[in-house]
Amino acid sequence: MSDNSVPTLSVDHLSVFIDKKPIVCDISLNISVGQWTCIIGPNGAGKSTLLKALAGILKSEGSISVDGNDLRSFSEKDRACWIGYVAQDPVFPRGMRVFDYVMLGRTAHLNLLASETPLDTSMTESVLRDLDLMEFSHRDVATLSGGERQRVAIARALAQASPFVLLDEPTTALDVGHQQEVLELIDRLRAEHKIAVISTMHDLTVSGMYTDHLVLMNHGKSSVSGTPHEVLTPEHIKIHYKVDVDIIDNAGFPMVLPRRTLQ
Amino acid sequence: MIKKNVVVAALFALALSACGTTTSTAPSSTPVAEFPVSVGTGESAVTITSKPKAIISLSPSATEDLFAIGAGPQVIAVDDQSTYPVEAPHSKLSGYTPNVEAITAMHPDLVIISNDIDNLAASLKAANIPVLIEPAPSDLAGAEAQIIELGRATGNSDRAVIIKITMEHDISAALNLLSKPTKPISIYHELDNTMYSITSDTFVGQLYKMAGLTNIADAAPGASSGYPQLSAEYIVKSNPTLIFLADGICCGQSAATVATRPGFGALQALTMPGAVVMLDDDIASRWGPRTPELLHNIVMAVNKVQGK
Amino acid sequence: MHTATATRISRKTWVISAVAVCLALLVGVCVGAVSIPPADVLAELGNHLPFVHHSNNSSLNSTIIWQLRLPRVILALVVGSMLATAGCSYQGTFRNPLADPYLLGVSAGAGLGATVAIVSNHSVAHWVLPIASFAGALIAVALTYSLGRSALVGRSSTALVLAGVAVANLLTAIQTLVQQRNAEKIREVYAWVLGRLNTAGWGDVRLVTPYIAVCLIVLIRYRRVLDIFAVGDEEALTLGLPVNRARAAVIIAASLGTAAAVSVTGLIGFVGIIVPHILRLIVGNSYRVLMPLSLMFGGVFLVLADVIARTALAPQEIPIGVVTALIGAPFFLYILGSRRSADLT
Repeated sequence: MSDNSVPTLSVDHLSVFIDKKPIVCDISLNISVGQWTCIIGPNGAGKSTLLKALAGILKSEGSISVDGNDLRSFSEKDRACWIGYVAQDPVFPRGMRVFDYVMLGRTAHLNLLASETPLDTSMTESVLRDLDLMEFSHRDVATLSGGERQRVAIARALAQASPFVLLDEPTTALDVGHQQEVLELIDRLRAEHKIAVISTMHDLTVSGMYTDHLVLMNHGKSSVSGTPHEVLTPEHIKIHYKVDVDIIDNAGFPMVLPRRTLQ
Repeated sequence: MIKKNVVVAALFALALSACGTTTSTAPSSTPVAEFPVSVGTGESAVTITSKPKAIISLSPSATEDLFAIGAGPQVIAVDDQSTYPVEAPHSKLSGYTPNVEAITAMHPDLVIISNDIDNLAASLKAANIPVLIEPAPSDLAGAEAQIIELGRATGNSDRAVIIKITMEHDISAALNLLSKPTKPISIYHELDNTMYSITSDTFVGQLYKMAGLTNIADAAPGASSGYPQLSAEYIVKSNPTLIFLADGICCGQSAATVATRPGFGALQALTMPGAVVMLDDDIASRWGPRTPELLHNIVMAVNKVQGK
Repeated sequence: MHTATATRISRKTWVISAVAVCLALLVGVCVGAVSIPPADVLAELGNHLPFVHHSNNSSLNSTIIWQLRLPRVILALVVGSMLATAGCSYQGTFRNPLADPYLLGVSAGAGLGATVAIVSNHSVAHWVLPIASFAGALIAVALTYSLGRSALVGRSSTALVLAGVAVANLLTAIQTLVQQRNAEKIREVYAWVLGRLNTAGWGDVRLVTPYIAVCLIVLIRYRRVLDIFAVGDEEALTLGLPVNRARAAVIIAASLGTAAAVSVTGLIGFVGIIVPHILRLIVGNSYRVLMPLSLMFGGVFLVLADVIARTALAPQEIPIGVVTALIGAPFFLYILGSRRSADLT
């Protein structure tokens, strides 16, 4: 650990090429534990790709480091101790119990051929309790509803106990009620666990309400970044989303309202 | 050994002629009206119009017969398994997977086979080629009858008779050498390394029977087929006195390899010298003129194991 | 407020499995071409325990039990365990319940190696055939691996499977060609290809058990890793699993063990698919549970299949590969019919 009291993830000039095409170009970010950064942008901007590169799933150029240590030099296990990832569409294997699914998060803390220790079991248990999932612990993950599944996926990332958690579209498949529920949950956990959250989101208003740092990506580049108020302006949205919107204040949060011109 | 007995047989023939029979004594130098001739019976009956000069043999036993009765010069090709005699015109033709086109391309005027595989006989008949089927006989008399039939079919009847008589003589001579076993002697004849055997209902099985031996395959489950596959357990339980290996060439078996098989170490035949007998694979699978050699080997083994 | 627990094998299941193994062994040793009363068989086995000296079996019966039946049954146990565990491992690492231990070309390679040994007449020396088939199997897997290795996470397993299919087809074609050109050896080749246990002796058991034991130990230790594979290569990577390395280790152990097994018994199919799958229908999809149970019940399955091979059409011995297919399929259909098909992955 460095002498900074708060671990920081530094991304410098990150680029990702897929089939020789640049999907992510020259992104630089700094994220400290306790922050919630949200990547927004139009379809095809490269948001999910960026997250996958940070998670180590895709190869990238540039540097990704934590407190000065290059993550690429870490083993998969060590990297997973720092960065957790919840996919946009996680795989929920049929027949796997919730408890076992969440306990998979402890993989990063176990040697390859070792078995789980009582500590791992109790950590899994406490995460399930925190997320109100104890009653589901013996259920087959494939039989859960969308909202319950999302909680289970997040539970696994929490069991992993990594300071940085990447969430790819954590609320896309959820209805408005569940959406709110999950976001409140993540915010609470962010504060309690002292983790940093990096997420991608479609819904601009919601992204403005919960996060403290927005990065607007387009064509793989970071076009605008800053606080929600700085990023969510009609001009920026017009340029990047090519649509006219009104921004109104909603209890201190910017609310993005689509404007429709009637013919 | 055969040459010496041809002389004896020739003397026999002379003696016969002196008794006033009309059998021709000189081997096939006087032209006799032998053709056209009908040979074979029933489905496989065939009429041969003139003395065949382009014979193809797809049966190793028939090959040996043909050359023994002097039809060698009339043979243009023999199959890939016909290893004896050495001077037989070897070819790539197969008796197991016969290729009708390859056979007809050689323009034979007589084809001899031992089994009618893939409707070979019908195909050759359709091509106007006479086919003679000489399947494995069940006993010595059958083998001798085949020699005579081949003699008639190829215009070598006289020699054929001599060969037949020689065979009978050699068989008797071998049996005379046998010291009849005082207590029953059981044998196991092995065809291949998967422990297929033969019962007394087969040609070679008959020879063992003639020598007064008990064949363990006769009581084995599956004996009705004539070629049962024995289990290792059954062989161990039967504990044969003599083991005859007819798979030395095809499958590399020998007394040494048999001894390494699990369970076989307990067999009595492995403790007595000479009780495991290597037979020539070929002679032990054919019914040709070398059959007396086989019987001779069997008799010698029986004698040896009795200490005589 | 309930305490939650991870999935694991209950004590009851362990006991049932152990009993099944013992019963299978007993049945296997008591049945054979020569009928020996079970009491005599047990006495004979007891004979070899220290301080127990009771049997008055004839030495021939003793030979049959100790030299012929016991090694055969033990070999069936060992080989069955290996095939079922290898099959289960492949299913886990490729996330495909239809994967079997021959997926990457092991069977085609072993078959080719054995065929070459048989037609070149070198199969005579007892040790040549196993070594040739073992070598063939390993070469096939190495070929598959080098052709199918893909740098992209997530594509690697599909690439491997496709390469395996290609290699298997190529080697099978070559084997068929070699067989056709040496038609008189066809029966011997097929006897090997269909699988056989009837020539098993202690030598065979000693030959393969060390390899198989090592491979089984490795694979069992990877059972937790197989559960991680279930969420896909991408997520597994983010969980901290070195995906390619782990998959390679599983494949190598499974292939080596399978190659060793088939090198003495020939190609016995179905065990690797059916046993794990039937277990899956009974105990669920967790590899932590499936792997040890596959190990035990794979052995039981093959021992019982061998008993059937020896007795169903006595005196003929049915090739064991035919038996495993014939009993596996209907049993599987029965289990399938009696449970919701939605339970299947």
